[in-house]
Amino acid sequence: MTAEEDNWQHLSRTNWRGLGLADSIKNIEDKWLLLPAFLKVKGLVKQHIDSFNYFVDTDIKNIVKANNKVTSDVDPRFWLKYTDIHVGFPDRTDLDAIDKSITPHECRLRDITYSAPILVTIQYTRGKNVVRRPNVNIGRLPIMLRSNKCILTGRTEAQLARMTECPLDPGGYFVVRGTEKVILVQEQLSKNRIIVETDSAKGIVQASCTSSTHGGLKSKTYVATKKGKIYLRHNSIHEDVPIVIGLKALGIQSDKEILLLTAGNTEAYKSAFSANLEEAAKLGIFTRHQALEWIGSRVKINRKVVGPRRPAWEEALEALATIVLAHVPVIGLDFRSKAIFVATMTRRVLMAMNDEKMVDDRDYVGNKRLELAGQLLALLFEDVFKTFNANLKSAIDKVLKKPSRTNEFDAFNTMQFQGDHITSGFVRAISTGNWSLKRFKMERAGVTHVLSRLSFISALGMMTRISSQFEKTRKVSGPRALQPSQWGMLCPSDTPEGEACGLVKNLALMTHITTDVEEEPIIRLAYMLGVEDISLATGTEIYGPHTFVVNVNGTIIGLTRCPTRFVANFRRLRRAGRVSEFVGAYVNHHHHAVHIASDGGRICRPMIIVENGVPKVTSEHIAQLKAGNLAFDDFLRRGLVEYLDVNEENDSYIALYEPDIVPTTTHLEIEPFTILGAVAGLIPYPHHNQSPRNTYQCAMGKQAIGAIAYNQFHRIDTLLYLSVYPQQPMVKTKTIELIGYDRLPAGQNATVAVMSYSGYDIEDALILNKASLDRGYGRCQVLRKNATLIRKYPNGTFDRLADAPLDETGSIQKKYDIIQLDGLAGVGERVDPGDVYVNKQTPSNANDNTFTGQAATVPYKNAPMSYKSPVAGYIDKIMISDTENDQTLIKVLIRQTRRPELGDKFSSRHGQKGVCGLIVNQEDMPFNDQGINPDTIMNPHGFPSRMTVGKMIELLAGKAGVLSGKLQYGTAFGGSKVEDMSRILIEHGFNYAGKDTLTSGITGEPMEAYVYFGPIYYQIEHMVMDKMHARARGPRATLTRQPTEGRSREGGLRLGEMERDCLIGYGATQLLLERLMISSDKFEVNACQECGLMGYNGWCTYCKSSKKVAKLTIPYAAKLLFQELMAMNVIPRLILDDA
Amino acid sequence: MNQQSHPGASVGGGGFVPNPRQEMEYICADCGAKNEIKSREPIRCRECGHRIMYKKRTKRMVQFEAR
Repeated sequence: MTAEEDNWQHLSRTNWRGLGLADSIKNIEDKWLLLPAFLKVKGLVKQHIDSFNYFVDTDIKNIVKANNKVTSDVDPRFWLKYTDIHVGFPDRTDLDAIDKSITPHECRLRDITYSAPILVTIQYTRGKNVVRRPNVNIGRLPIMLRSNKCILTGRTEAQLARMTECPLDPGGYFVVRGTEKVILVQEQLSKNRIIVETDSAKGIVQASCTSSTHGGLKSKTYVATKKGKIYLRHNSIHEDVPIVIGLKALGIQSDKEILLLTAGNTEAYKSAFSANLEEAAKLGIFTRHQALEWIGSRVKINRKVVGPRRPAWEEALEALATIVLAHVPVIGLDFRSKAIFVATMTRRVLMAMNDEKMVDDRDYVGNKRLELAGQLLALLFEDVFKTFNANLKSAIDKVLKKPSRTNEFDAFNTMQFQGDHITSGFVRAISTGNWSLKRFKMERAGVTHVLSRLSFISALGMMTRISSQFEKTRKVSGPRALQPSQWGMLCPSDTPEGEACGLVKNLALMTHITTDVEEEPIIRLAYMLGVEDISLATGTEIYGPHTFVVNVNGTIIGLTRCPTRFVANFRRLRRAGRVSEFVGAYVNHHHHAVHIASDGGRICRPMIIVENGVPKVTSEHIAQLKAGNLAFDDFLRRGLVEYLDVNEENDSYIALYEPDIVPTTTHLEIEPFTILGAVAGLIPYPHHNQSPRNTYQCAMGKQAIGAIAYNQFHRIDTLLYLSVYPQQPMVKTKTIELIGYDRLPAGQNATVAVMSYSGYDIEDALILNKASLDRGYGRCQVLRKNATLIRKYPNGTFDRLADAPLDETGSIQKKYDIIQLDGLAGVGERVDPGDVYVNKQTPSNANDNTFTGQAATVPYKNAPMSYKSPVAGYIDKIMISDTENDQTLIKVLIRQTRRPELGDKFSSRHGQKGVCGLIVNQEDMPFNDQGINPDTIMNPHGFPSRMTVGKMIELLAGKAGVLSGKLQYGTAFGGSKVEDMSRILIEHGFNYAGKDTLTSGITGEPMEAYVYFGPIYYQIEHMVMDKMHARARGPRATLTRQPTEGRSREGGLRLGEMERDCLIGYGATQLLLERLMISSDKFEVNACQECGLMGYNGWCTYCKSSKKVAKLTIPYAAKLLFQELMAMNVIPRLILDDA
Repeated sequence: MNQQSHPGASVGGGGFVPNPRQEMEYICADCGAKNEIKSREPIRCRECGHRIMYKKRTKRMVQFEAR
């Protein structure tokens, strides 16, 4: 053996944790396949659905368990108990139906609610017996589509098609009274955690903690500095409590112990804290009793006094035990853990006073929680259920109060007559979006939104949207800024521009939001892993140099001396499946703390586990996944992949790609492009674009007209824009395939020549080829719903549909031409402007409830529906059905087919929008040597300042794709390479840079420059026809007699305040007078010069004379103002100058 | 414009003249059965009990402009 060979041996030896220097770098082929596997089980809207499922399966049972008994004040022997609750499947409410099942689509069409009965099992006393009744209906709950109570879950595509439902529809919304409603994700600061902040201007340091217990009550407790001393502050105590008094009241009597628990053995903290001890001594508070008395006399008592007044110290005891820091449990008046919690808050304040860097970041994503539909519905249910029980109790009391009854009292009967309080509570809250729960001091408006069906992407984008609770007016950049910790969790590109910028966010592709996990087993587990109980520790141990405090969901439970080992063990148990995969554990080295989190609303995402520098997922696993033998859950169960929440992610060392793995690496990203969300994922080559362009595209992509859903022709929406010939993009991304955009596309692959043409292409305007439009490029359909009810009125009269009336000559008027015998227009007929399509008539005395005569004899007046649009349409569909309260519902769908025209807005997928500036005959368009014309000409000036290199590469890749007959990929941080694309172009005899020699269609001469020429995916955004508006004269508002506002009311064009200011500044008085009065609401009044009041017809009613009455012109609004002031007992007098 | 294809009631020859006595027919959205709808009666398919009806397409000729 030579020395050289020995050298080689040395290299191939495993020398560090089984790794050798000569190890080959193995790549896991196609590890991105984990992403579709993830989306299969979790989906894009899985957070909504999981949250709803948790509410329906678990939370609703907890709520009922907490409020399970109804008793009577009258009869102490009576009781009623709820022993179980469950939610059934959606069904129809009419009694005589044979098939009870109902599809969401039927609910949409019939304007009813997709809801399921809430069934309870009750036990109650009837006389001397105890009766049990299962499946008692107490109300109906709107069901989230695709949740586990929805009939669409787990259906095949064929079954869904049978139910006229789209397989690509994500679900996660509700159908309430026929409209699709989404409960948006709400972002909030996390509950039960200490947040330390400083206000450097005021010199205040404060630690705050919002406590939230399962009862729903929330309260905020502060430990804050004031003039160098520390105080405990809470809403239920009038005055700030000096911290030492607070701690003494919590049972820590000796000053030594207080000092130890707050300042520990650190000299700096001790000296900073000493002033507080002094203050308590000055106030003469030495014992616990004294402290309680001090607090007790300052506690707000907000309940009615029943019986004798309690001593102050008892009030204090109750307030401290139940209201202050309510989430820290006080069992049997053992205040030790609460005292330690307050002491910890105090210590955090001391630390922040000493070192400014010890404050927390409010904007850190780990300090945020996302509130979802399930939590909001749970609160709502608890509120309506409590009201239901209160109503039930008073109804039962009312019956029991009667001295003698004919038959034995059965509470079940009373329950049946409780009305639909629960049902209507849900329907009202979801359809209006007002969550006003007095019981929980909750008053929120705008919680729900109508699901935007402008396009498939807009609906999907809405499901991943997160709205923030921050007010939009505040001029702070912090909450709006991109946070490093949102990496992979929230999309960095998808946020609106303008006032909500950075406040409205979107989830990234792989994020999941946790639901609550029970914490008792986790606490037990922590103790078993060697955590020492906190109640047995003193300040010396807690703040010892090597001890770490263990927190579970913000509550301090104990101490550990080896945090790394503890966390590693904990994670090992989680990977083994002994604890829920959504429980997070991490070490916070700044605070010397270990945090375990199992609460709901944390954002997390999956990652591949790396151990000893080797990813646990191997190519074999992926092969198994491809073969369908493994699913994503198997990866979780085998401990190959795990979920990390933001806090744990920041305690990990994550490699982006496999070659980046070093011995200390703990995790490997599944796929880098998942940092983008669903909408940003549609952009090809986004990593080549300037960042704001991607943000613009995220806003615009949602407006693109295209296919909406597979059931689009069965839908009857208020307004539906459809593309006639949508195409999937030539340059796709993996995200496009994953969300199904290639199956429901919005746009067409237009052949674009990047060149100048005429002058109608300046400022981003586009030139369109007329022949392309004739072939159907950019053609779209607009379907508009017109609905009406054929009502029956309470007085017995009813609306009717009448056939077309005849005029004097005995022929049918032109506008009634399409009305058939049933009073409805014929389906397929053309509707011209002004035509009647529903010839409805209403009784003239419909609201007269005194009417008792024959309903058939009443006079009718016409209430027809006539066509308003200036362009003719066609009747697409007429639907007739009944609503829930048996009124006949008629929906008429009217269709217009439009081809692109001058002024329609187009955009590519790179935030580059433009309007059509000119439509050119094909013969005038440039062409290349193969005779290919462009569909669109784009001005090259759009490129230099926008820097959308991605668009250029899209053209290149698209051209290569067209020539080779393949679709190319433009996936973020990957995709088809420019070099390969150039090679394909060369192979097909084209210029490698994508340039072509064009010949001018006007002169017939070859152009002097090469033209960048190829397909780019273009989308239609808005059509001028829906925007165009002008008016000379027109309708006026009745109240003010000023021109109406807005296009839909044919309104005037406003000369606004700022325009007015300009005219004033210039001194154009006559123009001002003309604009603001003469052309608006001029009004002639008779004013009396004697009294200054207005009269009429030259007569002053106040002075009873016509002597000094003068005529003058004022705005009608001014006259109205004077009269309104007079109604309020304020007299405005007109003093006339030169009448 | 292409046409004024709105034959009034007076147009006899080529135009479609509806039989005034015949009841209008509607199609069930679920099973496609033909139904008649009487005023003020619940809308329900007599074959399958479905609650949604669509009106049948007109028998009159409809002319489109091919643009």
